[in-house]
Amino acid sequence: MAQKKTSRTSQAAPEQARAPRVDLGEIERILGFMTAHGLEELEYRHGDLHVRLRRHPAGGASLLNPGTAAAAPHPHEPGHARVAQLPPQSPPQAPPGENLHIVKSPIVGTFYSAPSPDAPPFVKPGDSVQRGTILCIVEAMKLMNEIEADQAGEVVRQMAENGQPVEYGQPLFALRPVAVG
Amino acid sequence: MGRPAFAFMFRKILIANRGEIALRIICACKELGIPTVAVFSEADRNSLPVRFADEAVCIGPARASDSYLNIPQVISAAEITNVDAIHPGYGFLAENANFAEVCEASHIAFIGPSAEVIRIMGEKDRARREAAAAGLPVIPGTPGVVEDEHAALRAAEEIGYPLMLKASAGGGGRGMRIVRGPAEILPAFRAARHEAGQAFGVPDVYIEKYVERPRHIEFQVLGDRHGRVMHLGERECSVQRRHQKLIEEAPSPAVDNSVRESLGARVVAALEKLGYSGAGTVEFLRDARGEFYFIEMNTRIQVEHPVTESVTGVDLVKAQIRLAAGEKLADVVPRYTLSGHSIECRINAEDPETFAPSPGRITAFHAPGGHGVRVDTAMHSDAVVPPHYDSLIAKLIVRAPSRPEAIARMRRALEMFIIEGVKTTIPLQRRIMDDPQFQRGDLHTGFLDHLLARAEHA
Repeated sequence: MAQKKTSRTSQAAPEQARAPRVDLGEIERILGFMTAHGLEELEYRHGDLHVRLRRHPAGGASLLNPGTAAAAPHPHEPGHARVAQLPPQSPPQAPPGENLHIVKSPIVGTFYSAPSPDAPPFVKPGDSVQRGTILCIVEAMKLMNEIEADQAGEVVRQMAENGQPVEYGQPLFALRPVAVG
Repeated sequence: MGRPAFAFMFRKILIANRGEIALRIICACKELGIPTVAVFSEADRNSLPVRFADEAVCIGPARASDSYLNIPQVISAAEITNVDAIHPGYGFLAENANFAEVCEASHIAFIGPSAEVIRIMGEKDRARREAAAAGLPVIPGTPGVVEDEHAALRAAEEIGYPLMLKASAGGGGRGMRIVRGPAEILPAFRAARHEAGQAFGVPDVYIEKYVERPRHIEFQVLGDRHGRVMHLGERECSVQRRHQKLIEEAPSPAVDNSVRESLGARVVAALEKLGYSGAGTVEFLRDARGEFYFIEMNTRIQVEHPVTESVTGVDLVKAQIRLAAGEKLADVVPRYTLSGHSIECRINAEDPETFAPSPGRITAFHAPGGHGVRVDTAMHSDAVVPPHYDSLIAKLIVRAPSRPEAIARMRRALEMFIIEGVKTTIPLQRRIMDDPQFQRGDLHTGFLDHLLARAEHA
């Protein structure tokens, strides 16, 4: 799966310089800039702060069917921006094996673990994912909606079966949130 | 209502609604032997419709726009459960022509009339024009703006007094004048134009007949997909507060058999012309002299449908489903007789004096029973009335051989309805049952406001 990401393992060096402080006001300004200029992706480096922001156009890009002109609007808010921050801010320390983060389906539809029937699945247990990593597809009304990880972590378990109907809030994946100092 | 053995019936129905009407539809489906799918928001996860449906799909968070009004989620739920029909209930998507079209495009039957008819009746102006063209009486008025004083005089003569001058560019009472006689028309015309110009920048006014102390009287109709329509009598819904009905009854104390037959026939003829199918309600205002004027049509099952069911014996929701499945009207309702009198009180979770919504957990709930009492509700002890939706928590319907007996029955049923934990409109409805004017049947749409005003100054 094409991922234009700097590869990072989930096990970063335990000692590391203090994570760069993120100025949320600055992030907001950048988001506003992107929206105003219709930008979809923007990468920003300053010192040891590296930020990439990706804005999702309404309709949800599909790997199989580039969005049909269906009458229904995309259930996600159009132009929903996500911040992918590298390195991620360290969450409160969680002992490994507990406090799994469950990624739930935001829409009703059919769960597919791979982009197409003969392709390998997007992710499998053990994979490390970042915020924004595509985990699966939920198909609704012929639109293939990419479901992204909303947190960085390690995929522990796929909780829905390929081809299974899912409802709003249905658990799809269990992630072990990554703790990077 | 026997169903011919060969008649097509839906394989599975999705109910795109919540609360008492969702449960009502599930009841009809169960009796017809049709499996059901309930869609629900997270706020309704533990509700009775979810419990009693054969399948249930969560379609979103509590907010209606993210769940019950979210067309893609509802359609997607219909697809993954493989239903072939959707019943929209009332409110939410029930009169959304777009939704009816999306259902059609998805090869799912929409239990209601066609999208085109929904659209026509959804625009008040257009509905009135179509109704008039189809032969129904509408409120007389000028077709458009009144250009000058000559035109005003002519229109006033034609329409008759009392009449109302209304600003075409806005509402809220500004640019509005009630005119009771020819001597007042020109000064009122000038004043209304001046006021409208000041308030909206456009002085244009139009003229409409003023219906004084109107009674809200509506006709229940059913239509099949083969061009036949019938009516099942009228309901009186004049006890309203801010255009929200609080008490409804059938038949109307102001309607006798001959009016029912003649107006009913005109309604049927008009709707057959329009190609109406499904359940619907045609609403009229009746003035003090007995003239009826069409105001609008609701292309869905209504909250107060049980009072019609009580006096006709016809199950309107089962009828909707069977008619949508293609059965003929003559098979679904071969005959009915109007018998007795029925009254409904909408029990809302509201302060009975301030009408502020009163959501929360119901700590005690005991519905009254006995002969001639029906309660439609999805509430129960320990249930939570969510703040996200309308405040209706139960419908209390009584039936009795006569209106006075129905009032007596309603009075005792209201007294025996225990709902604790939230405030309800029951105390107000008990006062209305005791009110001499209500008991005389002397009703009009200002009745409740007057009663509340009297109470304030008491």
